[in-house]
Amino acid sequence: MTARVVMKLKVVAARFSTPNVLHLRLVHPLRPELPPWEPGAHVDLRLPDGKIRQYSLCGDPDDLSAYEIAVKREDAGRGASIWAHQTLKPGAIAHVSAPRSNFAIQKASRHIFVVGGIGVTPALPMARRLAAEGADVLVHFCARSKAEAPLLADLREACGPRLRTWFTADGRRFSVSELEDYVEGACLYVCGPPRLLKAVQDAATARGWPEARLRSEAFQATLDENFKPEPFDATLASTGKTLHVPADRSLLEVLRDHGIVMPSSCELGVCGSCVCGYTEGVVIHRDAAIPVAERQHRIAPCVSRARVSVTLDL
Amino acid sequence: MRDDETRAGAYAEAPSPRPAPKMVEAFDHAAGSLARHVPGGATGFRGVLLHIHVAPAASYEMEELAEAECVAGRGIVGDRYHVGTGTYSPKPDTREVTLIEQEALDALSRNDPPLQRGPIALAPGDHRRNLTVRGVPLNHLVGRRFRVGEVILRGGRLNFPCKYLEELLGLPVYLPLYNRSGLNCGIERGGVIRPGDGIELLNDVPA
Repeated sequence: MTARVVMKLKVVAARFSTPNVLHLRLVHPLRPELPPWEPGAHVDLRLPDGKIRQYSLCGDPDDLSAYEIAVKREDAGRGASIWAHQTLKPGAIAHVSAPRSNFAIQKASRHIFVVGGIGVTPALPMARRLAAEGADVLVHFCARSKAEAPLLADLREACGPRLRTWFTADGRRFSVSELEDYVEGACLYVCGPPRLLKAVQDAATARGWPEARLRSEAFQATLDENFKPEPFDATLASTGKTLHVPADRSLLEVLRDHGIVMPSSCELGVCGSCVCGYTEGVVIHRDAAIPVAERQHRIAPCVSRARVSVTLDL
Repeated sequence: MRDDETRAGAYAEAPSPRPAPKMVEAFDHAAGSLARHVPGGATGFRGVLLHIHVAPAASYEMEELAEAECVAGRGIVGDRYHVGTGTYSPKPDTREVTLIEQEALDALSRNDPPLQRGPIALAPGDHRRNLTVRGVPLNHLVGRRFRVGEVILRGGRLNFPCKYLEELLGLPVYLPLYNRSGLNCGIERGGVIRPGDGIELLNDVPA
């Protein structure tokens, strides 16, 4: 995947979309236009301590004068959202990368979205674009209550009657039984917390949705507390050199130690920056970036490992 | 005022102290050390410094400076290779200061030679070299000493275009920058430089 330039953008508006979701508008202090993006794209927000977090762009891709992101305050999170809520006031500077897209509108005859909470951020510009093009689109938006549904007014404006809201406070809880059977040419997009993703994916599979017509966006890679990393060897196809990856180190770190500079960003298996090819070996995929269909030849070296050995296309 | 406070609170401009990055002295570089003893090349030119750009860290957009402090053996204050946070900082090399010719950028914008679909316009600093110069035959300056204002630079090796730049820009600049990607230099004598400073060749000093 590609390296992206990091820009120092200025916050020009910061308002609360819900009590815990801060909706930010960012402009470039010097350039009138920001790099273009497609609905579903995300940017990296760089923190002062060097950490990087991904946020979907939720504004209008036709307006390149500004980017918009929405940051949910996660009190039990890793601190990025709290920092953003405390620091990113109008006038503040945020270090933001050019956009990248792992989650894009697919060619489809019908587009169904299942969105949970803050997962609305990539879905909003996608649904807006599809609705504007007159495409067949249906959005299920799940949240605890209307007041806690981020960007609800924007989504409603974009989708009109194509939006179905599911607010548990009103006694309407989304059930996977709402999912329709797969019809040829349809595409199902899921964005939200891992639990929703899993439930929808399982139900969709049971209803005949093929893997390739199921797109999901996760900002948290699979967490498997029982995973025990084992050491393995990685061979570089170009030179034949073999590197040993100890159990307590990532493949990405070992590559870096040997001067193989890979672009990387989240280092959580989410963003896909460091993904590279492999030609031989059994890979233990632990990322959320590579679609199943591509797992036979692509690996995310930040989190994924191999059984015994792997040959990398490097 | 508040603006500045917020900014300072958000991102410290000076990263925590770290050891000086390893640099290869320009005339110790494999290319520079050889070229130094080979006579020839353009003399008598009088060029000019057009722009100074630095990036605070790897991948960050380049920022234009109205003046810059060059530190001998180290780099330009505020630049990622001075700090040691550049993409290639882990690999010791000569990259205290990098230069590129405005003439090469002009050629790219005319699509000359036509190696790609059409002209490539690089905005100032998008090439990610520190100094943009006019009237300076950079390819002749490997193994040579030259002056930019009060600062003395030593040409260590030709710069080489990288795929990383192509990815960063989303523009096919790799091929058209081949052999005119500029010069990587060491700083022999530090000082302050400004756009408009004159650039001229100096005599070699005895090794």
